[in-house]
Amino acid sequence: MVEFTLPANSRPTKGTVHKAESGATNVRAFHVYRFDPDTGDNPRIDTFELDLDKCGPMVLDALIKIKNEVDATLTFRRSCREGVCGSCSFNIDGTNTIACTKPISEIKGDVKIYPLPHMPVIKDLVCDLNQPYAQYAAVEPWIKADTPPPNRERLQSEEERAKLDGMWECILCFCCQTSCPSYWWNGDRYMGPAVLLQANRWIQDSRDEATGDRLDELDDPFRLYRCHTIMNCSNTCPKNLNPGRAIGEIKEALAKRL
Amino acid sequence: MEMQSHLARARGLGSTKHGVGHWWAQRLTAVALIPLSLWAVASAISLGGADYATYHAWISELGNLVLMLCFVTALFHHAQLGMQVVIEDYVHGETAKVTLLIATKFIAIIGAFSCIVAALKVALSG
Repeated sequence: MVEFTLPANSRPTKGTVHKAESGATNVRAFHVYRFDPDTGDNPRIDTFELDLDKCGPMVLDALIKIKNEVDATLTFRRSCREGVCGSCSFNIDGTNTIACTKPISEIKGDVKIYPLPHMPVIKDLVCDLNQPYAQYAAVEPWIKADTPPPNRERLQSEEERAKLDGMWECILCFCCQTSCPSYWWNGDRYMGPAVLLQANRWIQDSRDEATGDRLDELDDPFRLYRCHTIMNCSNTCPKNLNPGRAIGEIKEALAKRL
Repeated sequence: MEMQSHLARARGLGSTKHGVGHWWAQRLTAVALIPLSLWAVASAISLGGADYATYHAWISELGNLVLMLCFVTALFHHAQLGMQVVIEDYVHGETAKVTLLIATKFIAIIGAFSCIVAALKVALSG
């Protein structure tokens, strides 16, 4: 039945407050979600006051500054620091986004940083993404063609290539995936916006010869049709892509062959 | 303990391969219900407070009878399609879910047939 009570560890408590160094004038407070699986203690929200005059402009700069200078145990994923790797996706200021391209100046007041919503937390801001990764693998995101490859690359017209715009740019940060209520309630069976956008990237690819099989695999009340066009996915995408539209294109393709 | 691989869980029991039918039926009935609902509401207002003879004469007209049967069919079909989605979204216990889904279908069928039989009985009675 519907669960009306929250599972254990759902309500974080107040944690440690790390004050800014004396003499700092441009101070901003960062409230960061902390969970340590080794202690198993209830999650807490630590507060770090930083001098923005001595910090880079992005939220990721603040997290790195905290880890380097205040609390080395703070755990989070990051790599490219320029919005192409998709590692540093968190819930920042109430919205899923990647910390490296989110300017601190865009946030009014204190900065709240939580892990991506509704995923199992491994430690601090690191959540378990095994489920969406496996779902991504399940849509077999590679070209499938029976026609033997020519001696050169498989050709594509400019119009055919243009159909992939807005999809190839996806960095699989799963901001959209974890912002979707349908994915929260039925993530075990619903593929989710990020994975469906990737599926559509291959459905729309003129070089792929398995379109019908791909549509067969998605023609399912849960895998695809749990999308109720809530559109949180398109609102939250840090790359300004439109997973909602991609899902619409899959539904359109399925309707065309009715 | 679950030792199944993540990929095995993601693939689950596989695709049912018939999701589009439900989706299409929900949209078709929704579109049909726009004019049908307007007609039904307008008819109810214009007939408000009338006696049995007036209703009898109204539903005996072939156009009204056909529209009434279309309205009732589309309405109950659309309602049970929508309820099914809501239940699948929010009810996760397998027993409760299956029970509610079956109950929804039965109630919709009983409701639809009650309305259809009532309309036909009145319309076809002398």
